[in-house]
Formats: sequence, structure tokens, C-alpha cells
Amino acid sequence: MKGKDIASIVKTALSLFLICAVAAAALAYVNSVTAPTIASNSAAAADKARGEVLPEADSFEEKTAPDGTVYYVALKDGETVGCVFTTSAKGYGGDVEIMTGVNADGAVAGISILTINETPGLGMNAKKDAFKDQFKGRSGELAVNKDGGEIVAITSATVTSRAVTSAVNQALALYESVAA
Amino acid sequence: MKFMIALLVMGILTQNFTLAKFLGICPFLGVSKKLNTAVGMSLAVIFVMLLATAVTYPLNMFLEAHDLVYLQTIVFILVIAALVQMVEIVLKKYVKSLYNALGIYLPLITTNCAVLGVVILNIDNISAYSAYGFGFGHAMVSSFAAGAGFMLAMVLFAGVRSRLETADVPKSLEGLPITLIAAAIVSMSFLGFTGIVEGMGLL
Amino acid sequence: MAEKKKYNYGRELTKGFLRENPVLRLVLGTCPTLATSTSVVNGVGMGIAATIVLICSNIAISALRKVIPSKARIPAYIVVIASFVTIVQMLVKAFVPALDESLGVFLPLIVVNCIILGRAEAFAGKNPVLVSAVDGLGMGIGFTAALFCMGAVREILGAGTFLAGIDTMIGGFVDLNGFTGFDFTEGLSRTGLAPMTVFILPAGGFFTFGVIMALANRLADRKGLPKAELRGCEGCPHAAVCGRSECAAEETKETADAVKPSADKKPAADEPPKETDAAAPAGNDGKEADAQ
Repeated sequence: MKGKDIASIVKTALSLFLICAVAAAALAYVNSVTAPTIASNSAAAADKARGEVLPEADSFEEKTAPDGTVYYVALKDGETVGCVFTTSAKGYGGDVEIMTGVNADGAVAGISILTINETPGLGMNAKKDAFKDQFKGRSGELAVNKDGGEIVAITSATVTSRAVTSAVNQALALYESVAA
Repeated sequence: MKFMIALLVMGILTQNFTLAKFLGICPFLGVSKKLNTAVGMSLAVIFVMLLATAVTYPLNMFLEAHDLVYLQTIVFILVIAALVQMVEIVLKKYVKSLYNALGIYLPLITTNCAVLGVVILNIDNISAYSAYGFGFGHAMVSSFAAGAGFMLAMVLFAGVRSRLETADVPKSLEGLPITLIAAAIVSMSFLGFTGIVEGMGLL
Repeated sequence: MAEKKKYNYGRELTKGFLRENPVLRLVLGTCPTLATSTSVVNGVGMGIAATIVLICSNIAISALRKVIPSKARIPAYIVVIASFVTIVQMLVKAFVPALDESLGVFLPLIVVNCIILGRAEAFAGKNPVLVSAVDGLGMGIGFTAALFCMGAVREILGAGTFLAGIDTMIGGFVDLNGFTGFDFTEGLSRTGLAPMTVFILPAGGFFTFGVIMALANRLADRKGLPKAELRGCEGCPHAAVCGRSECAAEETKETADAVKPSADKKPAADEPPKETDAAAPAGNDGKEADAQ
């Protein structure tokens, strides 16, 4: 190989290396700046969601159920007013993750949808209050109307409706297990 | 095993990479004019997808272990670019027949969003399907399914396009617009598979 | 070099709007266009994110154009673009988390958006910094405008809303007085109608794109411009596949002597600075941008 070729290879490699090094440094810097904001964002979002599903509570305490699930006990003036569970079930476009607030009397206080990736205009309508509010005050084993239950499924999105219902059922069952 | 089959069915039919997730549209529109080129391109895509997943999956574990997840995009795209180049050189030198069949498609794949897409989605799947213990084997199966889905879409569409060539369409719709509308109909037909994974009791 | 040339900044800016609109005329970046145009807010969010990356990468690549060796051009461009994409991704996650959630995998996939690599290769790599920035801005606006049109048609027809979810995107920066977008669904249901959901499904995306492209073709036809073609894909690399002989020859020559991941690009470095006005409408622009 001629010296000229080697020189050109070295030059190419060196300039690529420099660009990569500068890029990595820039990314590390931006990451260090944004990472705390991203972390506090998701913490704030979780806090807000917990407040939405159990509005009467003023603080939450993290606990672990006997089976290892992490849940939150809702407190008001130091008294337990219910629990908040995060459960998930298989929807049409992946897992649907639901946060359920359960009252001290074992009924649903409210639900919030954390992760959902369903079809826009169909399954995504699960986010609407008209669907979510159906769960309020219900207890026991829930089912959608197609399966003989009381929850009116979203039009053309039975799979999503079933997923939400099953996640709420899991939360109610978890409540039974921790309350007992 | 059931989960593996579910991944296959989802990748090929219900969540087809091209027709439902819009990844790899450019080759879908550009290389689907003839059946043999469509097949050649798809085979090259499957090959690179499998290879890229095999390399990036362990690499991602390394990035996670060292808290460098923010370098994911840059590392993955460079790995894919380098892999494609190496595969091309190796094939050219040692497996001439395969190179002749796939070689011309390889350079196109570097910036094919289907390849980077499958790699990133596989990393996302680890947490999304954690209940099913999504691991390396599953990642490979779902990459294969994604590639096979791409191939199915390409082959089907090559058939549609050969009919389209001779069709008499309004002037403004000639060329790409009518091709896109035909793609809409093919995509709509895939909606018919909705619910098949749940119906077969796979998930 | 190109520095001595006089640039018409206004023309460089506006060429991306219709004349060389990256989506409707050059047919680049089809994947994000189809995938993220399910609603106006989504599509415009994608458009703005891509525009920021495009302007930054155009500036950086133009500034480095004499330092980057031509052989290592493509990997260097990819590194630069990927860095800006990651930076934008982190900023979006930190300040507009709702957008990060709705764009999903398509946010990191801006890396392989052929508009960006295409502009780097066709323009920024050969032109001075300021005009490259203007080019990036113009192309970005064109991309965003196309996404807005697609998003508006699909959202109004498919979901019965317009600008839905705007509060989750800019609510943190601008006081919207509780405005959360228009919702026509209730009025529709009173008349016994429902939105045509198919428009926000993938099939509707293809259909809307086809119809809008036909309209753009008609508009361009009146102005005497050529039809939209798959230049992005039928450019160099694809030509071998698509059977255009003159480019096919170039492709074979390329693959034979290329050693870097630039085999899919033509040897642009030793090429004279390209005419940047629209006299040859988009003939070379984005030609070497690849299959996405």
C-alpha cells in the first residue's frame, strides 16, 4: 500500500473519530441536562394520575403486596381511604396499562389509562370519560355487555374494552388480597 | 411456543410492518414493480433485519448496563450501516451467487426505516411483553416476522401493480397517486385479519 | 467554490413549499408522513421535530463540509443527524412528553428520514452555512405543511375532530383558555352519522396521500412543472432495480470501488457545486436519498 493511501485512511478515520467524539460529548451533556426533567415529569404524571383515580386522598404511601406487586395506599388525614393499583391486560395493539383507585369499601373510585396503543378512533376511545366513568362505584367481577356484564363496550373495540375491564378486575382482586 | 406463533402472526398479518406500521414504504412503492425484484429486496431485508437484531440486542444490554441508553439511536444506525457494508463485502468476496442475487439491494437497506424500526421496536418489546418473558429468541422471531410481513406485502403488491400498469386512470392520478390508492385497498384487506391472534387463543 | 455565487434566499426558502415540496413533489419521507398524520397535532409535531433536526444538521454539515473527507461522508452525516435526532428526542421527552408518546418509534426514526440525509447530500454538503439553513427551513416548512394537510383531512374525516389534543402539546407554553380542539362528533351523532374511522387507519393514510398527491400534481401541471415521481427511490440505487440504464451503470461502478457505507451514493464530492435554483426542478435534489 502506498503511503498516500495510508495517510488518507488515517485522515478519514481520524475525522470520523473526532465527529463521533464531539457528538457523544454533546449527547452526554444534553442528557445530563434533560434527564432530571424527564424523571420528574414521569413522577409528576404518576402522582397526578393517582390523585385522579382517588380524588379524596391527600397523600399516598408505597407498599408491596404479598405477591410482589407494588401498590399505593391512599391516605386522608392519616386514615386509609383506599388503594391504587397499576395493572395491565393485552389489548389490540399491545398492553393496556390501567391505574385503578379502589375505595375502602372495595368499589372502584376511578380509573386512569397510563399506556394505551390502540387504533385511533376506535380503541383509543377508551380514554374518553364516557367509557371510564362506567367503572365508578362498581365492585365484584366486571364484564363487558357482550360477555353479559354491565360495562358498555366501545363500539367496534371490544378487545380494548375487555382489556380495560380485565385490568380493573385484576385491581379489584388485588384489593381483596391486600385488604384481607 | 404459543407466544412465538403469536409474534409470527402479528408481524406478518395483523401488525404488518409495511401496511399497518408504515415502515419501509419507500422500497414498497419503489421496488414492487416486478415480482423478482420485490422478492430479492425482501430477502435482503429479512437477512439484514435478523443480523441487525442479533448484534443490537446484546449491544443494548451493554448500553443499559453502562447507563448509555441515550446513545441508542446513534449506535444502532451506525451498526446497521457498518453491518450492511460488511455483509456486502463478504458476500461479494465469498458467496458470489448470493451477492449477485441480493447485492444491489443491500446499499438501499442502510437507511431503510424498517430495519432501524425493527431493532428499536424489539427493544421496546422487552418491556411491553415482559409478562411473556420477551428475550433474545423472541426478538429474532419477531424480526423474522417483520421481514416476512414486508415480503408478503411486497409480493402481493407486485401483483396488484402489474395489473395497474395496463389500467386506464385519470391523468392526475397516473403514476404514484393511483399506486397509493391501490396500496390503501391492499392495506384495508389486511384489516380482515383483525383479532386473529386473540381468536386463535395465542395471547 | 460556491461561496462566490449569489444566492436568492427567498427562492431557496420557498422552493420547499410547493415547487420542490419534499413530500408531495420529491416523494421523500413517506413513512413518517403516513404514520404520524393521524391528527393535525401529531403531524405538525412530527414536522416541527424534523424541521429542527433538518436545520441543525444542514448547518453542521455545511460548516464541516470542507473537513469531512468525501469517502467518509455518509457515515459522518449519519452521526451528525443521529446526534441532533437524539438531542431533539431528549428535549421532546423533557418538555412535550405527550408528543413523545404519540410519535413513538417515529421520533428516533427521523434519523432515516430521507429528507434529511437527502438535503445533507444534495445541498448542505456543497453550499455555505446560511443558505443551507434557509434551505433546511424551507424544506422543513414544506414537510410540515404537507403533514398538516394530511393530518387535517384524516382527523376531520376519520375522528370528527380538528386540532384535538393541542392542549397536551403546547398547553405548557401557551395559555389556551381551556381550548382543547374542535370536536364535531356530538353534532354528527345527533344527525345519526359517525366519523369515517377508516381515514385514521393505515388504509386511509395511503388513500389520503394518493389523493393529495394527485391534487398537487394537478396544481404543478398548471404551473408547468413535471409530475411527482419516486425520485428518492428511483434515484441512483434504485435505478438498477427499476431499469433506468444510465443510472444503473453508475450504480455498478459505485459498488465496485466504494469501501465505505457510501456505496449507495454517487461521488458527489468531486462534482461541481450544483445549481441550486429550480431550473432543473428537483432533478438531482434528493435523488441520492435512499429508500426509507
